[in-house]
Amino acid sequence: MNKRMVSRILKIVRYAVIILILCVFLFPVYWITITAFKPMSEWNTWPPHFWPFHPTLANFAVKGILPFLRNSLVVSSAVAFISAAISLMAAYAISRYKIGGTGLAGWFISMRMLPPITIAIPLYVIYVKIHLLNTWLGLILVYLIPTVAFGIWVMISFLNEIPKELDEAAYVDGATRLQTFRHVIFPLSLSGVAAVVVLSFVQTWSAFLLATVLTSDSAAQTLPVYLGRFVTGYNIEWGPLAAAGLITMLPPIAIGLIFQRYLIRGLTFGAVKG
Amino acid sequence: MKKYTILMMVGILVGLFAVTAMASVTLSLITSPDTGPSLQWLAQQFEKQNPDIKINVSIVSWETLYPRLLADLRARSGVYDIFTWDVMTAGSIHSGALDLTKFFKEHSNLVPKNYDWKDLLPLAERLGEWNGDLIGLPYYNNTMLFYYRKDLFNNPKYQKEFYNKFGRPLRVPTTWAEAVDVARFFTKKYNPNSPTRFGIALMFPTTHTMFYMFPLFFGPYRRSPDGVREFGPVNITYGDYFTSNGKPAFANKYGLMALEDMKALMPYAPDPLGSDYGQTIEYFSQGMTAMCPQWTNPYMQFKSSPALQPASEKIGIAPMPGRSVAGNWALGISKYIPLKKQIAAAKFLLFATSKWATLHVLEKFGIAPIRESVLDNPEAQKAIPWVKALPAIYQTETFRPRIPQEPQLESITDVYFSEMLSGKIPMTIESLKKLAQKWEKVLSSK
Amino acid sequence: MEESTIALENKNKPVKNSVRAHDRRIAILFILPAVILFLVMAIYPFIYMIYTSFTNLNLSMSGTGQFIGLSNYFEIFHDPLALGSIWFSAMVLLIAVPIEMVIGIMFGLLIRGIKGERVFRLLFLISMMIPGIVFGISAQMIFNYLFGSANYFLSLFGISEIAWFGHAATAQFVILFLDVIQWTPFIFLITYAGLLSVPQDLIDAAKVDGASRWQLFANVEFPTLKSFIYIALIIRLIDALKIFGKIYMTTWGGPGMATSSWSFYIYKVGVSYGWDIGYASALALILLIASAVLVNLLIKVLNLGETLELRKEG
Repeated sequence: MNKRMVSRILKIVRYAVIILILCVFLFPVYWITITAFKPMSEWNTWPPHFWPFHPTLANFAVKGILPFLRNSLVVSSAVAFISAAISLMAAYAISRYKIGGTGLAGWFISMRMLPPITIAIPLYVIYVKIHLLNTWLGLILVYLIPTVAFGIWVMISFLNEIPKELDEAAYVDGATRLQTFRHVIFPLSLSGVAAVVVLSFVQTWSAFLLATVLTSDSAAQTLPVYLGRFVTGYNIEWGPLAAAGLITMLPPIAIGLIFQRYLIRGLTFGAVKG
Repeated sequence: MKKYTILMMVGILVGLFAVTAMASVTLSLITSPDTGPSLQWLAQQFEKQNPDIKINVSIVSWETLYPRLLADLRARSGVYDIFTWDVMTAGSIHSGALDLTKFFKEHSNLVPKNYDWKDLLPLAERLGEWNGDLIGLPYYNNTMLFYYRKDLFNNPKYQKEFYNKFGRPLRVPTTWAEAVDVARFFTKKYNPNSPTRFGIALMFPTTHTMFYMFPLFFGPYRRSPDGVREFGPVNITYGDYFTSNGKPAFANKYGLMALEDMKALMPYAPDPLGSDYGQTIEYFSQGMTAMCPQWTNPYMQFKSSPALQPASEKIGIAPMPGRSVAGNWALGISKYIPLKKQIAAAKFLLFATSKWATLHVLEKFGIAPIRESVLDNPEAQKAIPWVKALPAIYQTETFRPRIPQEPQLESITDVYFSEMLSGKIPMTIESLKKLAQKWEKVLSSK
Repeated sequence: MEESTIALENKNKPVKNSVRAHDRRIAILFILPAVILFLVMAIYPFIYMIYTSFTNLNLSMSGTGQFIGLSNYFEIFHDPLALGSIWFSAMVLLIAVPIEMVIGIMFGLLIRGIKGERVFRLLFLISMMIPGIVFGISAQMIFNYLFGSANYFLSLFGISEIAWFGHAATAQFVILFLDVIQWTPFIFLITYAGLLSVPQDLIDAAKVDGASRWQLFANVEFPTLKSFIYIALIIRLIDALKIFGKIYMTTWGGPGMATSSWSFYIYKVGVSYGWDIGYASALALILLIASAVLVNLLIKVLNLGETLELRKEG
């Protein structure tokens, strides 16, 4: 009897702690979300309004956000698909032909770890010379570095799971290496491709530093850069800023949660299968 | 999904090309947020009159604008055709900006008959010059003002209470020492009867803001007879931070006194070290403070704030208790763009600084005028209350350095001042001397 | 099965050499795009950076770019601002990351096997997907001095308002807090996967033996979890060196240098205030070396050669 009481209390405490942690961790997201629906009179109040008393959609008519949304979509999706293609090919070479060995693979992973600020300045100087500043192509190229780097690792771990007997069998049946790749490996590695696409998209979407250095206006600037230039402005319009923040964070949250099962493997470079 | 993206990309590209094909010249203009909306509006008006010229205005924060512009001019990439530049960056952008005196001499047909060069305020024009070249036409004759709550200062109840407490009448402070008492009086923590939570909204963050707030306090010492005797008259190239022969002038008791004056006000301000203009403007707008040193253009926000209605009775404007600081902006043209674009850009510059434009951006956006005729215009004086106060303030305002090393000096100084005010490093002449040594190093290394 | 593979190998033997060469060519062809990408986009900037770190190149000054030897590197040791930002980066590594580890692992243990596990997991992962910039915006609102909800919560307990961004300690707290909020879910995600991989029969056996919760964790779960924890820790340490967006959006490194991270200081020196490229390159190179050391550690811990079967057969 006493023991059951104790275990019940423990269970309640357990739920209470979980809910408390969730409240703290989700509070910033919650605050952005409600502010996006607050009219101007509720942005700064005391006590603060913990939900919009007079909800409005007016904040979502953010002036001039569309080009930035377009840039983010174009750059992130291009990076996602190109990095999946490049890393699938490289991973195939490494997984099946052991080319380069540990050294090469190690070099690839170190590219993912490169702090962006270290290449930002030299790239700026080079981009000026070759006219890639403030272009989609310029951004796509830099964001391929981290995404291809981890993409290769993720793909290797997926390809290793495809039994080698399968390609051997196809090969014996008279298929060339390229045909084997196209008809055997590619269809079987599609979930790996999906993992790389999803993760590359989410990462590129959120990236800020290189975009802020390498772009200058709405022709190529992405959403985070658009958000970044507001806080130091004269007049901080919290409502529209929060609305823009909400628009910026929704796609990665949605995609990340829908494709949750790919996250673990992607984030640990294939080391954890999840 | 992919197909759709590609289709969309193509669609957008086609659309962009169609738009650009119609206009024969497309100019790209980069501006800071304070002048952004006014230039957007001017660009629209200009496009109506000149259908063959299109202007894309992009607004970026100060922290982004300056490095962007500098890099563009240094690399000679010609990304920006027209730019607003903070006059204190004159030295560093000089090499890439077109000399307008020469340009307008060669293309005198561009200048409209009624442009009237003599009407431009001489100081504003001089701030657009570097080494004798006119590298920018003055656009925004910005300076710092002292905003206060007129209704509270004029209220007999508070006047009486203040007199009982301090033995002198309540009035808008004219020195920082006076400001301390008033700020204390209007801070709830020290005076439960105060109608406002805090006395004064101050901004001493570790950004470029700190660098222009210091001269408000240092100016009175630097420009005092003693200061002038010790350091010589202020040279517009080096500004108030320097002696007349280009040595740091703040590493002494005057610099220390200025910092102490800043520190003395801090207890009566909401989070001064963590607030920048966004926050202080908000605090004053919401009626949380009784005073607020701020630039000219935030008046437009104060005017429309529900807590400050009716604006004519609640918002008072006075000269800064210490001294104001110049925050001028000029419009420049890149050297590294084709002549055709330069001509189109020059047309826009002349348009944006014309009498008509100066008056309209003043009334619509609170852009402080660069023309004498507008300062004298009764219509303008009626529209914006600070117009009348400006001529006197321009006489006494202080300047920041305009030498090429300015940004580097600034980045070091912001940190040192912030650490001194927050007590991280001692607030002593020694610390100021250390900062001055850093300055010497930056100045001598190149 | 075994017989057939052996037969296969025997059949292939005579042509093996030419096949090998052909395969190699294909393999090189396949790996080429990745190699070219990295060579052009990362190695070239890297060489450029090494070169400029020995010069006084500065975009705001004409006539710079001369060779000045190791001066930039010596300068780092005499620059309190550089040392201050290295210190703050160390704080992120030494304070935020351990807290992330503890909460991340703990949350996994808390939700394991209870009703609503899936929902809790989903909700907890949200903040990991959010761009750091957005966190900066919400922090500006939440920690505002006069209107922020953080001070409101404090006022409920009778604590007077705190100037969060105005004091070194509290500003540092805000940045570390944001980092914890954003990255604890990452630790959770990985260690939770480890938790799921603990064989159920071991857990059952321990329960039958009457093991306490702590004993269960220490003797059964932890041994499996260990390698997952290492992976999470090292990836997190390397990423923590990059902290930038949150600082850019909230404190701008202030007050003083209290919240200026290494990455942020490089940005300030190299981009924001006048493009002092020479000095910024020297600072960046040091950062690169620090993260390279951690990356090497990661490769060892991941036991790269074995987990990905990279060793050449035979």
